[in-house]
Amino acid sequence: MGVLNMKRCNRILVSTLGVAMGLAVSGGAVAAQDCTTKIGAVLPTSVDWGRPIAETAQFVVDQVNEAGGVAGCNVEMVLRDSQVDPKIGVDAAKALVDLDGVQVLLGAVSSGVSMPILTSVTVPGNVLQMSCCSSSTAFTKLAEEGKTKQLFFRTFATTGVQAAVGAKVAKDRGYKSVAILYKNDDWGQDLQNLISKDFKALGIIVTSATAINDGQPSYRAEVTSALSGNPDALYLGLYPNEGTAAVREWLSLGGTQNMIVANSLKSDEFRDNVGLQYLGKTFGTDTASPRVASADSFVAAYEAKFGSAPNGPGLANSYDATMIALLAMEAAGKDATGDQIATQVARVTDPAGTPVTADSAGFSTARDVLASGSNVMYQGATGNVRFDENGDVSAPAVVWKFVEGSVEEVEYMSLTDVDDFIASLK
Amino acid sequence: MIGIVSYLVFLATVASILAIAVLGLNLQWGNTGLFNGGVAAFFGAGAYGTLILGGGPQDGQLGGFGLFYPLALLGGMATAGLLAWGVGILTLRLRHDYLAISTFGIAVAFENLMRNAQWLGGGAQGLHGFERPLHAALGDGFLYNILFLLCVLVILVLTYRFLETLVASPFGRQLRAIREDETAARSLGKVPTRIRLTAFVTGCVILGLAGGLYGTFYAFVSPQDILPTLTFQIWAMLIVGGAGNNKGAVLGAFLIWGAWTASGWALSRFAPIEAQLYTGSIQYILIGLVIVGMLLWRPQGLLPERLVVSQTGHTKT
Repeated sequence: MGVLNMKRCNRILVSTLGVAMGLAVSGGAVAAQDCTTKIGAVLPTSVDWGRPIAETAQFVVDQVNEAGGVAGCNVEMVLRDSQVDPKIGVDAAKALVDLDGVQVLLGAVSSGVSMPILTSVTVPGNVLQMSCCSSSTAFTKLAEEGKTKQLFFRTFATTGVQAAVGAKVAKDRGYKSVAILYKNDDWGQDLQNLISKDFKALGIIVTSATAINDGQPSYRAEVTSALSGNPDALYLGLYPNEGTAAVREWLSLGGTQNMIVANSLKSDEFRDNVGLQYLGKTFGTDTASPRVASADSFVAAYEAKFGSAPNGPGLANSYDATMIALLAMEAAGKDATGDQIATQVARVTDPAGTPVTADSAGFSTARDVLASGSNVMYQGATGNVRFDENGDVSAPAVVWKFVEGSVEEVEYMSLTDVDDFIASLK
Repeated sequence: MIGIVSYLVFLATVASILAIAVLGLNLQWGNTGLFNGGVAAFFGAGAYGTLILGGGPQDGQLGGFGLFYPLALLGGMATAGLLAWGVGILTLRLRHDYLAISTFGIAVAFENLMRNAQWLGGGAQGLHGFERPLHAALGDGFLYNILFLLCVLVILVLTYRFLETLVASPFGRQLRAIREDETAARSLGKVPTRIRLTAFVTGCVILGLAGGLYGTFYAFVSPQDILPTLTFQIWAMLIVGGAGNNKGAVLGAFLIWGAWTASGWALSRFAPIEAQLYTGSIQYILIGLVIVGMLLWRPQGLLPERLVVSQTGHTKT
């Protein structure tokens, strides 16, 4: 135990040097706390893209501890691997709730794991569940039926925003017909359904919508069927591995370079493996940070910590999920139960509240504001996160394109722009 | 303290459900020598069947029959049985590895069917809208979980008794005869094809029963529940426990599931912070080592099959 504490102190020291900003504000408050509050995390750490999501969550916990912890206690995140297996994930969640007594559970990533955790662990156990990345529309349905007891939140903007902005890009670029390739899971199927409707609403013909299964050695058959409709453009709702493979085949078979991609392909890996010279006419969509200077602190802090930009699925969402959960715990006070914490989420994401930034300085500010009885508007890595009554978020959106070594913003749509545009499609 | 009990109840429920599945596989592999590589499909058929029959209506989806729960569970078992019968007719002339490959293919096909046929099982989103039986009366807390565990244990014991009786019966001797030497069995006037099919379907109905209970417990099933990993897990339990021995099958289920969850828990608690992110991978290595070790040093499993001579060959002169 002593060794662990030593290690943690070293870690805190190192990261404090890295994020000097936190030190400037919190100053002497860094002193170790004598109590510990546990939060649980069930994330797929044995999967390549899952590990950074967990690292980001741990990074938030470190930042908050730097700012003096939650309600006077150090935060310890107990991380369990879901192995993307519902049985394993549910068991891990149950162990965290029953054995470690956590009141806040982060996770999971796949909706197929988050859903049974919600129905058989967190709702019966009265525990707040905050998912970074589960996108299934089934959660909204469940919340509407009142079965989530308002205990479920997610920072992954519903796929609706992503789909609408993708369709807008096609319209703005003047494409008349689009072929769709989508990941064959709940997220991909939802995205495909939504964007097909949006395309139709804008008078754009969907020549084909083809499911891409993970881990195939070749996607020639799928790509050929997408090509056969001779579309003006290609829409990709895929992850980097399959996206790279499919786009390579698409281009080598003579497909158009007019491509629209979802935020899941906003990755260095995808850009480098396909080759930037082929991506000149590719536009991506994503939910965006608010237009305030302090919102860049997530990117800056992330780069300082991990030495690369936070380009990967779900990282900004994971950051916000963890930070909002911890802010709500701070607002609820010591020894609060899951449902008490859940009711505080609205207080820390209040559009009329005092703006706080996404870093340890912001957490310190938030603590003072909350202690004075006022509300806080958390300006997170994915924007001014604001949950609706079903625990879903909407967000401002951005259109981006690949450039050497990074991505560049092409167009910014504020939350009102996004909401108006979505309404115009109905 | 109540937390520990509550968790153990949860753990035991999942382990018991898996034990039922392992018993089903044991009838096929342990007693009859049928290599079923598609465990996940029959388990899934049971789960989907039960939830579709017993669940409430969902938009644009088959289901919403809201049947009385025991009927829904029987329906789930029947679904698994029907699937097994169809598969069995087509594949049971295949032997050993060929049967394994074709059943494995069927499991992959089944998972893809459920992933894509949104009208049937909700697609990749999975199937929800199912209410656990007596949920309204008992709530969904600790009491419910205890009662559910008791029900599952009763079903486990009944399944065990049924299989013990079956294996000790003349029919059980036929199964072993076919496993050991099919030609010899045929020379004695037995019909191996029919007996193999019966054993295959019976085993799959039991797998379907386990699947139905599993779906009921989570009130949810999605294609992620029936990935090939599940087949691998059930097989690992049978190999470690001891193929051909029903006690071994149950022991294996509890041991492997216990080890799987305990290693995850222990690593999350005791591994240094730097290694936390890799506990998932470490766990895979540990479990792999246990299975390889078993195969190397105790291939017959912890509780090996005990062959009994039910009738001595001596005749009185």
